[in-house]
Amino acid sequence: MPTERSSADRPALPGPAASLAVLLGLWGRGLGTGARIAVVVGVALLVAITVVAVTFPSQIGFAPELTEAMRQYLPVGYLAFVVTTATAVLFGGGGREALPAEQVVAFPVGPTTDHLAGLVLAPLNLAWLLQAWTLLASVAVLTHGGHTWAAVVPVVLWLVAATVVVQWLSWVVEYVRRGPRGELVVRTTAVVVGLVIVAVVSTGHLLDVAEWTPAAWASSLPYLGAEGDWLTWLFGCLLLVAAALGAAILGSGTAKLTWTRPATTQARVETRRYATRPFPRSALRALVAIDRGSVWRSAPLRRGLVLLSLLPVVVAFAGRLDWLMVPVLPGLVASGGALLFGVNAWALDARGAVWRESLPVAPVTALVARAWVLVEVLTAASVATLLICGWRAGPPNAAELSAAVCATATIAVRTVASGLRWSVRRPFSVDLRSVRATPAPPLVMVAYSARLAVAATLTGLVFSVVGRLFSWWVSVGLAGVLCATSVVSLWWTARLWSRADVRSNVVDTVASV
Amino acid sequence: MTAVVRVADLRVQFGSVVAVDGVSFEVRPGGATALLGRNGAGKSTTMRVLAGVVPPSSGVAEVAGADVATDPLEAKRRSGYCPDVGGLIPRATPWEHLQLSARLRGLQDWESRARSLLEQFDLGGEAHRVTAGFSHGMGRRMSVALAVFHQPPVLLLDEPFDGVDPTGVDATLEAVADARARGAAVILSTHLRDLAVEACDHAVVLRGGLAVASVDAREMAGEGGARAYRALLG
Repeated sequence: MPTERSSADRPALPGPAASLAVLLGLWGRGLGTGARIAVVVGVALLVAITVVAVTFPSQIGFAPELTEAMRQYLPVGYLAFVVTTATAVLFGGGGREALPAEQVVAFPVGPTTDHLAGLVLAPLNLAWLLQAWTLLASVAVLTHGGHTWAAVVPVVLWLVAATVVVQWLSWVVEYVRRGPRGELVVRTTAVVVGLVIVAVVSTGHLLDVAEWTPAAWASSLPYLGAEGDWLTWLFGCLLLVAAALGAAILGSGTAKLTWTRPATTQARVETRRYATRPFPRSALRALVAIDRGSVWRSAPLRRGLVLLSLLPVVVAFAGRLDWLMVPVLPGLVASGGALLFGVNAWALDARGAVWRESLPVAPVTALVARAWVLVEVLTAASVATLLICGWRAGPPNAAELSAAVCATATIAVRTVASGLRWSVRRPFSVDLRSVRATPAPPLVMVAYSARLAVAATLTGLVFSVVGRLFSWWVSVGLAGVLCATSVVSLWWTARLWSRADVRSNVVDTVASV
Repeated sequence: MTAVVRVADLRVQFGSVVAVDGVSFEVRPGGATALLGRNGAGKSTTMRVLAGVVPPSSGVAEVAGADVATDPLEAKRRSGYCPDVGGLIPRATPWEHLQLSARLRGLQDWESRARSLLEQFDLGGEAHRVTAGFSHGMGRRMSVALAVFHQPPVLLLDEPFDGVDPTGVDATLEAVADARARGAAVILSTHLRDLAVEACDHAVVLRGGLAVASVDAREMAGEGGARAYRALLG
């Protein structure tokens, strides 16, 4: 008589969707009461903004020229959504994870669950959300007076289909990257695609190209729905649904293939031999050297820095700029720099934080070193953007130049102050080893990026107005006042960091990866 | 002889959890004390307090005359600490760890000792690779090398044998013996009772944050020691 248990006796493993629900539940149970309330409020806020985006702008009477421009550029908006989503996911090496790989290693989590997690968490990205809201608002305005719901449905389907297709594409790229000469193939392809985009934009053929892509067809569907052309509308919607389902299935299969190849990007960094550095002349220099290495030897941070260095190039070819816009753009790029690691800066040390804390060095020196490395990254990104923006905007007058420089400096100092304050007050346990790692959980990253972007935009706009209306020294004075408030914030953070119990909490958290 | 390490009525509380509840012990120059106990007994927290990483809630913790609560920088200068987990900056090389330690501790002519330690712990060939790619045992060996590097008067080794191969265990035992020979006080936390007995002359057994026994390490040796230890663990 056979004694082995039959397959019917074995407990059934949960499917990918159930596994994802378990992982997200695991993450949720790890949150305190305050954090849970913040998550609920955050999700409610996202839903509320979406409802407002669909309903409110259509009530505003826009000038006919503006509405016509929106109609003309709608396909470009559809296409831009795909490009920015693809950029975020491709640089993330497969998109977001429900939980970091090292935390779920003990559980039977498969590639399909990983793929689903990437899809579900893709919208938790400020660039994704802003573009989605912009498209929804634009369509609501352009179809005002028709069936709004019928206009909005194909937009939502486009957002879903584009996200799923991009996720599939990211697995394809990651599969190639992990293969023989993969890094070379991917980098060469990226450069070629980048050059094509630059050529299209700089030669003024963006609209023509957009007309030849599925974006043009998809952007016509809302009008059909609004006007009641139901058959064509329904056919279009079903096509988008089919595209999303097809890409989801293909993505799952490609994810499985990708999982059969070991990740090589970080392995290359970890097996390299690094040249000996000269002996640092001071404690601060020694700490800065270690922190700088922690940034440049981390795969996700290196990719983020590459992306940051590309942003000014994109700005350069986006078209001629007005000096009114120049004070805004460098600050936005600086905000992106802070999101690489600056919002959870102590996570750079990971488990080494415990040993570092046992070294005889004043806490403020460690804080200054971390701030210095953050300033280096932000300065490099924002100054490059400022120079290229300035070149595209033509010769400025003294007031415009002063406003742009002061705005850049003010936002950089403010971003450093905010990043370090959050790093000390709300540390997260994150291993910045994986290319898919982010310095904080997805929803927190949305909140951080929104706060930084809003602050950078408002500050930039204030300096734009000041540069247009007043003399150059008014910008300098304003920058002095705003920087002083940031310095006070930094001083408070330094005081907080000097407390042994606060450092102990930060070290304990970041070292528990 | 004056104690190099003095812990008196040490208490550490995290929120409502009391991790260390009135622990007291002393270690004299050249002495080595093993901290034994089950997971969560308070061994690592006690070590972290002595290393200046966790502030004590109350009580006294002195390292070579420096009070960790009032003069943590001096306490850190006078101790070498191997943490229980990780303990290495993931994207820095062993050489960079040693360089940082040498700079912050103001060491002169440190390179030859650094090379010699890396050889002793069988890490000479890995000196310029980042530690993120190290195995657990390699990381442990490197952490011990960093702790003994500046020849501190107080050596704090938290689980130094965990996952370490026999060569690494020998290197660690040799490092402990060297430290004791030059008059340093050693505190060693481990679950491996036999190695604790081999490395130390005294043992303190912790349970639930309390010190339940303070005995000669030889009393913990062999079968009799094992029975006594199990009885103390409860």
